[in-house]
Amino acid sequence: MTTTLLFDRIDEPGLHTLEVYRRRGGYEALRKALAMPPEAVLHELEASALRGRGGAGFQMGKKVSFLPKGGMDKYLVCNADESEPGTFKDRELMQKCPHMLLEGIVIAAHAAGATRSFIYIRGEYVLQADILDAALAEARAAGFVGEQILGSDTSLSLVVHRGAGAYICGEETGLLDSLEGKRGNPRLKPPFPANQGLYQGPTLINNVETLCTVPTIVTMGGSEYAKLGVETSTGTKLVSVSGHVQRPGNYEIELGIPSREIIYGLAGGPPEGRRVKCWFPGGSSSPVLTGEDLDIPYDFDSMAKAGTMLGSGAIIVVDDSTPILDVALKVAKFYRHESCGKCTPCREGTSWTVTMLERIDAGEATPMDLEIMASVQEHIMGNCLCVLGDAMAMPIGSMIAKFRPELEAHMATARIRSGVGGGAATEGVLAAQGALVGAGAGPHGEAH
Amino acid sequence: MPRPAPRTITFTIDGLEVQAPENSMLVDAAKHGDIEIPVFCYEPKLGNPVGACRMCLVEIEGIPKLQTGCSTPVKDGMVVHTQSERVKVAQNSVVEFLLINHPLDCPVCDKGGECPLQDITFGWGRGISRYVDPKRHFVKPLALSPLIAIDRERCILCYRCVRFSQEISEDHQLVLQERGAHSYVSTFDGHPYVAPFSGNIVELCPVGALTSQPYRFRARPWDIEDAGSVCTLCPSQCNVTLTVRDERVLRVLSRANPEVDDGWLCDRGRFAYPALGGDARVTAPLVRDGGELRPVSWERALEEAAAGLRRAGERVGALAGGGATCEEGLLLARLVREVLGSPHLDSRVAGALPLELLRALAEPSLQATVSDLEFAHAVLLLDCEPVADAAILDLRLRKGVRRHGLRLVPAGRAQLLDQAARAQLLDTLRAAGEEVVVLWHERLGAGAEGERAVRALLDLAATLGLAGIDGAGLLEVPAHTNGRGLREAGVLPNAGPELGELDEGGLNEGGLDAQGIATALAAGELSALYLLDVDPLAGPSPLPSSEHLRSPWAAPEPELWERALERASTVIAHATFLTEGVRAHANVVFPALAYAEKEGTVVHPDGRVQRLRPGVARPGETRDERRVLDELTAMVAPVAVGS
Repeated sequence: MTTTLLFDRIDEPGLHTLEVYRRRGGYEALRKALAMPPEAVLHELEASALRGRGGAGFQMGKKVSFLPKGGMDKYLVCNADESEPGTFKDRELMQKCPHMLLEGIVIAAHAAGATRSFIYIRGEYVLQADILDAALAEARAAGFVGEQILGSDTSLSLVVHRGAGAYICGEETGLLDSLEGKRGNPRLKPPFPANQGLYQGPTLINNVETLCTVPTIVTMGGSEYAKLGVETSTGTKLVSVSGHVQRPGNYEIELGIPSREIIYGLAGGPPEGRRVKCWFPGGSSSPVLTGEDLDIPYDFDSMAKAGTMLGSGAIIVVDDSTPILDVALKVAKFYRHESCGKCTPCREGTSWTVTMLERIDAGEATPMDLEIMASVQEHIMGNCLCVLGDAMAMPIGSMIAKFRPELEAHMATARIRSGVGGGAATEGVLAAQGALVGAGAGPHGEAH
Repeated sequence: MPRPAPRTITFTIDGLEVQAPENSMLVDAAKHGDIEIPVFCYEPKLGNPVGACRMCLVEIEGIPKLQTGCSTPVKDGMVVHTQSERVKVAQNSVVEFLLINHPLDCPVCDKGGECPLQDITFGWGRGISRYVDPKRHFVKPLALSPLIAIDRERCILCYRCVRFSQEISEDHQLVLQERGAHSYVSTFDGHPYVAPFSGNIVELCPVGALTSQPYRFRARPWDIEDAGSVCTLCPSQCNVTLTVRDERVLRVLSRANPEVDDGWLCDRGRFAYPALGGDARVTAPLVRDGGELRPVSWERALEEAAAGLRRAGERVGALAGGGATCEEGLLLARLVREVLGSPHLDSRVAGALPLELLRALAEPSLQATVSDLEFAHAVLLLDCEPVADAAILDLRLRKGVRRHGLRLVPAGRAQLLDQAARAQLLDTLRAAGEEVVVLWHERLGAGAEGERAVRALLDLAATLGLAGIDGAGLLEVPAHTNGRGLREAGVLPNAGPELGELDEGGLNEGGLDAQGIATALAAGELSALYLLDVDPLAGPSPLPSSEHLRSPWAAPEPELWERALERASTVIAHATFLTEGVRAHANVVFPALAYAEKEGTVVHPDGRVQRLRPGVARPGETRDERRVLDELTAMVAPVAVGS
């Protein structure tokens, strides 16, 4: 329905091979880029205003320009850890068109002056890592990676490194520690990786999708690319839609289209007879939006204005058949499991939150616990070493704020079921809760 | 290497204008305004801050999020708030988070009363917890090692111990296992944490998670006293605080001196104290009677000794070492040299060096300090194994390598004496930079080639021009703790105090060194031996000999010494323990003081004079060596001394 750049004929058989990729004009962007001085390539990247596709949405060209100039060893690291729940776009890119990523990495390294590069791919992506290894061997043999690429002065070593499966290794500094062979714990920032990253050297870290977009930008020209999308969110974006939709999957959209077009138009909306209760616009760490927010344009700034974030572009849809407590518990348990344990608020806060949610579900909680839970989320937010703590506190906080009546009803029902509450109100409360969940009560809980 | 010379800046904290060194971390800078920012994980000794505990969150104007004061360098004009509502809420919440899984067993916890977590909870916590769920449980306490117990429930995961193991002692044994709230500290392979500096983690722990096995449940902070002293168990001479209860040393802690020990202690210094107060100590004078040492009165012991010395006259030899102080050395020299008229006394294990060499080595412009080791471009480690010879220097060298890019060049005597190897050594050192420190052990000068080796060392120093360079020079690790002090006190066969010429009477000539004394005793040319805190059969360690405490280089010729002691008609020893030689051969044993009981001065290998002060009362009938030496001197030659 919109321009497809990354997913253009993505399902063409054999696209993962160098032969098919080149037949379609692959590595021509690299040839063009290598003929340009690095500054000119950097200029194109800046002109494109491409924002990082990994989650933070920081402008890629700006990030490249932060690297110190000079002859020291510089590194480029491709973050292929793709571990945000609901995100599976990079997997498809690497599986179906690995050469696009390799080409993007070489061009970006040329622009950044990096001579060593790594793809840090999550351990679960065995197939994709094998495909990347094979593609890398082909590219190396063809002279697209290695010493004096295509006869130019640009040289780049590239290593595909498989992680061992930890969410925290998708956090850029945790990734660097892991790549260095240490326990993958986030580092204190500053210093930022651009100054002191891998092996203390200046390091550029980008997401798979971001780097895959680079060849397109070089081919089209940065300013031409910037015409796609909206002013502060240029270009196209891959969105991974999952959850209660009829056609889950990856879709390429032009940034700025109404969210409804993605959820209902592309993904077919929730099953017949169901309504969207809430949705995560950018992975499980983004504050949830409700069915009333479907007309918000899907771009970085509109999402930020709505109090949430575009994140990695992973839309998880939850329909009215699911209690919000189940959603909250699922999210909180994930972050408790993945918290590295280095900083206090995240380590203790995620664990405490899960305990409280479980207590609510078991009927052992009182309304005061909701207050405490909300305040715990506030105490986590902004006080942690990295963003993992916030990644739980933001969605949980938003669920408490937006679905408080349902949570209170859930708590009351559970208390009655467990025999803690009891009393004459039993049936009324049970009925009220049934009404809330069953009818898919809106965020403001008219049944209360 | 350039050392940091900080500029002073002015910043505002809680409305106060405060001056502090630029780029010092906010938590340190705040102290200049008498403002305390609470911390758990921050410990500058451990290197770069990690910002893990989040206790030190402060508000800085112009930065939207709260920042960790431990990792934010202070800048000119910065405006910081540590008392705002936002900061208070954050501090309260971090305390609350930390206490979620921390057992409230303070009444039975060793740390209670001297616990940063207690103090910070009172100072910066809300006083109540909203946590009602079950706490995390671990099996506890476990022996992390025979010396250290670990209580994982008390652990607040501040990472200090792990950082120490990874980045300071570099034994890489401690790690955090598991993740999130299940994290726990452990050795990687589950084996005991046995390492030369392991005890430091007990002192680093801000809660009662790591406790000393020997100290556990022995005392509470309110019934102990602190006594500052200097550990004389090895030439490192680390500064220590003795924890004293009822006239017994119950614990040894570091009394940080950045110029000496950098705030660390080795396990020997930290955990050897039970032996010093233990049953094996000699606490009464002993005299050999019917082939066995038997306790006697002081009068009897002194008389026996005086009689023996009078009989021997100038045919006496004397050795001093161990923890003997400078004052004791002076008194010994007076007794042997002036009263008995014997020139045969020594404090070096490696044998005598010509006076001109001793003086050249002591040349002030050639002296390097311990902190020079850290900032030098290169350290030439010559015939020296720091962890065994002067343990704490090992950590200093590691720090230099890790933080300042120090080049460590280990070499032996052979390389110094071989022309080609020496040229290569010089090239390596020159390539590293001009600030070169040579850390060498006294053993370099031992044996037939010893003098040549020391000359080669001086030659190397001259070739590199070390005398003219700040931060460069020589640093000798003597075999005995106060080796340098004893030499300066004149306990040498060929020099008086301060390496001075001796009086007339030919005493400069013919004085025998340790080996010469042994040979002369074995040949019957000398008849008495006076041992001050040293046993030639036990090596330099003042503790009962056991393999791990023994210096790798004990007396070089045990068979010769065996024969010498056998033949000597009188052997008088000041001893804290009955070591092999003393037990088998001494005729008179004076019970000596351990360092915790002693008063006096010792000289650090780099020339710093350090003072010992008694921390506990003398045990049993022990007497101060100075008094014993003085009385003995008076008894041997009452007239000469008085006049």
